[in-house]
Amino acid sequence: MAVYKRRYNSYTGSLTPQWSRFFVLTRFAFMDLFKSRFFVILLILCIVPCLFSAGYIFVANNKTLQLLMQVRSEAADFFKVENQYFIIIMVVQAEAAFLLNCWVGPVLIAGDLTNGALPLFLSRPFTRADYVFGKLAVLGLLLSAVTWVPCLLLFALQAGLAHDGWIWSHLWMVVPIVLCSAIWILALSLLSLAVSAWVKLRIVATGVTFIIFFIPAGLGEMFNAIMGTHWGALLNFSYMFRIILERGFRDPYRMLGRMARNEIPISAAWASLICLCVLSLVILNARLRARETVRG
Amino acid sequence: MTPTIELDGLEVQLGGRTILQGLTGVLKSRAIGLLGPNGAGKSTLINTLLGFHTPSKGRVRVLGLDSHANSKELRSLVGYMPENDAFIAKMSGVRFVRYMAEISGLPPEQAMERAHEAFVYVGLGEARYRPVGTYSLGMKQLAKLAQAIAHGPKVLILDEPTNGMDPPARKRLIELIREIREASDICLLLSSHLLRDVEETCDEVLILRNGKIASICNLVEERRANRKFLELETLGAEANFTSALEGLGCECAVFTSGRIKVVMPDSVEIREVFKVAADRGVQIRRMNHRRDSLEDIFLSAMEQTGAPDGRL
Repeated sequence: MAVYKRRYNSYTGSLTPQWSRFFVLTRFAFMDLFKSRFFVILLILCIVPCLFSAGYIFVANNKTLQLLMQVRSEAADFFKVENQYFIIIMVVQAEAAFLLNCWVGPVLIAGDLTNGALPLFLSRPFTRADYVFGKLAVLGLLLSAVTWVPCLLLFALQAGLAHDGWIWSHLWMVVPIVLCSAIWILALSLLSLAVSAWVKLRIVATGVTFIIFFIPAGLGEMFNAIMGTHWGALLNFSYMFRIILERGFRDPYRMLGRMARNEIPISAAWASLICLCVLSLVILNARLRARETVRG
Repeated sequence: MTPTIELDGLEVQLGGRTILQGLTGVLKSRAIGLLGPNGAGKSTLINTLLGFHTPSKGRVRVLGLDSHANSKELRSLVGYMPENDAFIAKMSGVRFVRYMAEISGLPPEQAMERAHEAFVYVGLGEARYRPVGTYSLGMKQLAKLAQAIAHGPKVLILDEPTNGMDPPARKRLIELIREIREASDICLLLSSHLLRDVEETCDEVLILRNGKIASICNLVEERRANRKFLELETLGAEANFTSALEGLGCECAVFTSGRIKVVMPDSVEIREVFKVAADRGVQIRRMNHRRDSLEDIFLSAMEQTGAPDGRL
């Protein structure tokens, strides 16, 4: 089928491995995303807090710099890199991930569904699972770049600067950094993909993603107030994430005052986020169908 | 030789309704047309071939591969051009086709090369860098064809390919389909409302009516069988003209206004008819190779299955 010959020829060359084809979706999505200046600025802004954190860690581990900054000895306790410090970083980065997800997620599937391109994907040796996995990988990589990856880098920086066995006494923190980020990334990604598959307009989809985080939380608070219970908080997904985070970082009482009063078990918090993921998968399963309208 | 499509008691139910009812038949030609009125089950059959629907009974095989059990292998052989809009509006045409080719398994460089080739081949070379969303309806149809052929499929499934195209564009598309068919060993399944599209591109036709097979017809054989059937419009034909033709071994039926129907044996050539006419001073004003057109076959199939009007 060479251009100059204008003749059809079948393809006889090599093919890429079946398992790697989902990544085509990811690659094309990234190419599209990085064409947007707004996205690039947003991504940089999401990483900026980590740069400040790196500066903080540097100051916290540099006595000379503290002296130059005329930090008094009692204020030196402020420069302390422990589990609470990582909780704060994780919370900030989780919020950044939420914003990034609200911008990126809604366009991923809606663009394919708006003009019925899905049958073209699924008429190839490409399953619905491959399709979802390819789209999920976009958000997974992107949100990882603003959550656990910079947090682990900060952890490594602190470990490198602290010297005196800090790494061995704090190595357990790697697990909550990765696990807490993983559940947050999964919940956010699946939710925004489900919304993207459900609502085809980008602006509406972004709005719906916000609403899903704020309206149920408000309803939950109403439920708590009326029923005199605390279980309504299960609908506050950000709050559930914080519970998981703080329990994971072995600091359940100091950072989260409400926790002391309203005891929600960590298993319930996990269940709440897992339910959100399952619900999103159900919506994706219902919306991502290849078949066309059957007339008659 | 493996049949192109084998239907073995295929039944498909959707939403509790039986859409395809016990389809059984073997289609051996390389170019198969799929005909039927609205709601006959053409799109459902295509979706079942692609593995989008699971048969509730029976099975269908394409090139020996079961549409359900071997759906992945089957899809790796297929190029599909859907009936409805199917594109990504913001992508440029060539990028869209490259994207689809990569999903079919072509490495990025080859996918890009084939995407350019396919776009030029379908006649959209000049428009390949424009977003697909800005294309006219006819151009979108061609872009869909380009994505269906870019990865070099062995089976090309075209669902209403000429929908919304003006006559020159339709003609060009039909020529392209014929070219693709001639230039390779590709198998073609074309579903269309336009009998002419099917007649011009296909060798065999599957006619569906209310989810059942109304007829399977081999057009090549039909054409061959009707090759020696002539309709003449004459001036000055007397009984001696027909008796002379009968003397050649022809069978003649004479109608009013000089119209004569002639069934010729294989040994008689048309020029001999002209010679007989010239010898007897008979003018042949019109001569038709009368053969059953696809329309006749289609209408006959509709009547046989009790269709009230056979309207497409």
